[in-house]
Amino acid sequence: MKFTCERDVILKEITIAQEIISSRNALSILSNVLIHAENKELTIRATDLKVGFETTIPVDVAAEGSTTVYCDKFLGILRSLPSGDVEFEQEDSNRFVIRPLFKKIDFRLKSIASDKFPELQLAPVESFFEFPQADLIDMIGQTVFAVSDDETRYFMNGVYLENIEGQLVMVATDGRRLSYIGRSVETQLPDFAGVIVPPKILNLIRKLASGEGTVRLAVAEKSIFVHFDNQRVSSALIEGQFPNYQRVIPENQEYHLLVKRDELQEALKRVSLLVEKSRRIYLTVKEDAITLRSDESEIGQATEEISCEYQGPEMTLAMNYTYLAEPLRVVESENITMHFTESNKAITINPEPETDYFHIVMPMQLD
Amino acid sequence: MSVPVFLHVDMDAFYASVEQRDNPEYIGRPVIVGAQPGHRGVVSACSYEAREYGIHSAMPISQAHRLCPNGVFLPVRMRWYQEVSSTIMSILTRHTPDLQQMSVDEAFLNMTGTERLLGPVVETARKIKEEVLRETSLTISVGVAPSKYLAKLASERDKPDGLCVVEPGDESAFVAGLPLKALWGIGKRTLSHLNALGVTTIAQLREYSKGDLAAHFGSAASGYLHAVCRGEDPGLYSDHAHSHSISGERTFESDVKNTPALERTLLEIAESCMHRLMEEQARSRTVTLKLRLADFTTFTQRKTVDHDIAAAEELFAVAKELMYRKWDRSTPVRLIGCGLGNVESGAPEAQQDLFDDRADRQRRAEAAVFSLRKRGMKVGRARLLKRNGPGSERRRDP
Repeated sequence: MKFTCERDVILKEITIAQEIISSRNALSILSNVLIHAENKELTIRATDLKVGFETTIPVDVAAEGSTTVYCDKFLGILRSLPSGDVEFEQEDSNRFVIRPLFKKIDFRLKSIASDKFPELQLAPVESFFEFPQADLIDMIGQTVFAVSDDETRYFMNGVYLENIEGQLVMVATDGRRLSYIGRSVETQLPDFAGVIVPPKILNLIRKLASGEGTVRLAVAEKSIFVHFDNQRVSSALIEGQFPNYQRVIPENQEYHLLVKRDELQEALKRVSLLVEKSRRIYLTVKEDAITLRSDESEIGQATEEISCEYQGPEMTLAMNYTYLAEPLRVVESENITMHFTESNKAITINPEPETDYFHIVMPMQLD
Repeated sequence: MSVPVFLHVDMDAFYASVEQRDNPEYIGRPVIVGAQPGHRGVVSACSYEAREYGIHSAMPISQAHRLCPNGVFLPVRMRWYQEVSSTIMSILTRHTPDLQQMSVDEAFLNMTGTERLLGPVVETARKIKEEVLRETSLTISVGVAPSKYLAKLASERDKPDGLCVVEPGDESAFVAGLPLKALWGIGKRTLSHLNALGVTTIAQLREYSKGDLAAHFGSAASGYLHAVCRGEDPGLYSDHAHSHSISGERTFESDVKNTPALERTLLEIAESCMHRLMEEQARSRTVTLKLRLADFTTFTQRKTVDHDIAAAEELFAVAKELMYRKWDRSTPVRLIGCGLGNVESGAPEAQQDLFDDRADRQRRAEAAVFSLRKRGMKVGRARLLKRNGPGSERRRDP
């Protein structure tokens, strides 16, 4: 195998490959990246057995072939090289030579034959559907932060994806807050049972997506497949029963307030400086004002009042401030509404005007 | 609020006693554990017989050898002492959930409020001494006092095999009867400084005000001296302001490599840790795991979850996950342990759940089981019932 490729082009793909590879595991063939040159194209493949990544880039192929090399070092070498064309060549059966053109640099990486590298899973072509990239990025952004990282609640360690009457719905929860988005697009969605998608592939999609055009998706029983123009990623799904989230979405909340998102966000940032490990922050709402307050602690105490539109009884809600800060970071509208009934019931955060997403937060106890 | 009462347990000449126990031919002879004569190093521990020659721990081994050329000089078998120590610690944990192990041969037991359950603390102290002697053939000295500091002084007073009780109200009188150098925290330097001031007894030290002492020893040390010479706890061992940990471990009689046995042991330990946590009315989000393989390779792992650990089942689940990170399911295991880190007192977390709270139900179930057990009823997990041996018969009576 021998091919020539621009350093910046291959570096970009190998960087992603290395992100897929789990560095936590002992060295094995899975620490390697597969490189396959054929037909003026270079295919790069990496996997941690759960998430798979494959990309194709046009290169100048002098001799076809394939091999695998230790991705971590390969990436380090590429990063260290100056921009410009680099020649790659498989020498003997276990030497991969990296040689920038017009430079006296010569790296020889040990390689392992590619036949030991696991095959990537493929989905049947007919199961793919198109989905706008911009919408998919939006949906991931509104939900992925809310997943639980508590492995004992593994079924909440991913974003639930389902098709409800032609709407693509994503829901994430850690058991105490929940984020929901349901988007209708013009394309016809195939029927599939709801699945739990690990955040790793969702974050990868955000990284790979340009935000323009469409992406092709396929949901199978145990895996999800996402194809961009020349990049393909797949991931094993999380097995398990996602909680019945529809049951916890409040139907009627008695009161609501309207507040400028920026103002609430800034005030929250300030007051939370003095919130300790409990992360508890108090919001006292009264006519046209919200008071944010931290617990009195060894360090001190903070209070800030901001104006809002509210008509209703004075009420205090206690919340984990990150459960408020995180939705505020992703809500896109200038104003938001908060809906609530009493201090121990769920609070809903909506953009104003309402669109196709919302965030629910369970409060903390007041004392 | 009950009157505070602490036990301080101190093993007598621990390393040397273990050696004498294991090798009866050394009994009655000066045993010096530490570096070998002719090599560099110091005395780690020595038997009471060796102390008669003027040998003490931390003395250079060459000096010890000069003082007692016919002594039995032995290398330190730390791992073995640790095992013996953990056996003794496990005896101690039978008597209180609140054990603060200070070192391999020393621990504080908070017995506050246990009298109704376990009887007079002095009786418990006697029982502990008996059990340790019966089960390990070693003697310990125990101090009983209203504070940790005094308990430590008390355990020291009647060594070896001592049992010294300081009743509430007697603190000052007890300290007055001690030599100045017995006060823990007064080292050589402080002592010679005090002597230079003409202070050679505790009574003389008491004549100095805090301010006088501060002029000579600085403000921190003056407060300390002022307190300890009056029998007041300087707060040296107070752990309540800070977080601490609760853990347990078990060394297997012979190495174990079967998964069910290992998981079962882990669950048992998890259960006892959880009960200690409940007893303390504390909470924790951090799970720790300790694993020692047959070749003594030791792993410790910890993981912090985003909510309070609610039940033994959950502690077990996380500990198990940590165990399989390090254990290949085939290497024989010598020791397994787990526990809770960053334990803080206080009510369980205030965060409410969106979904039906399974954790809360588990927590309540376990609290109920725990309180039944405290009342002497035999209630336990079916999974932990032994197939053979005691406890195997089905219990039908309530």
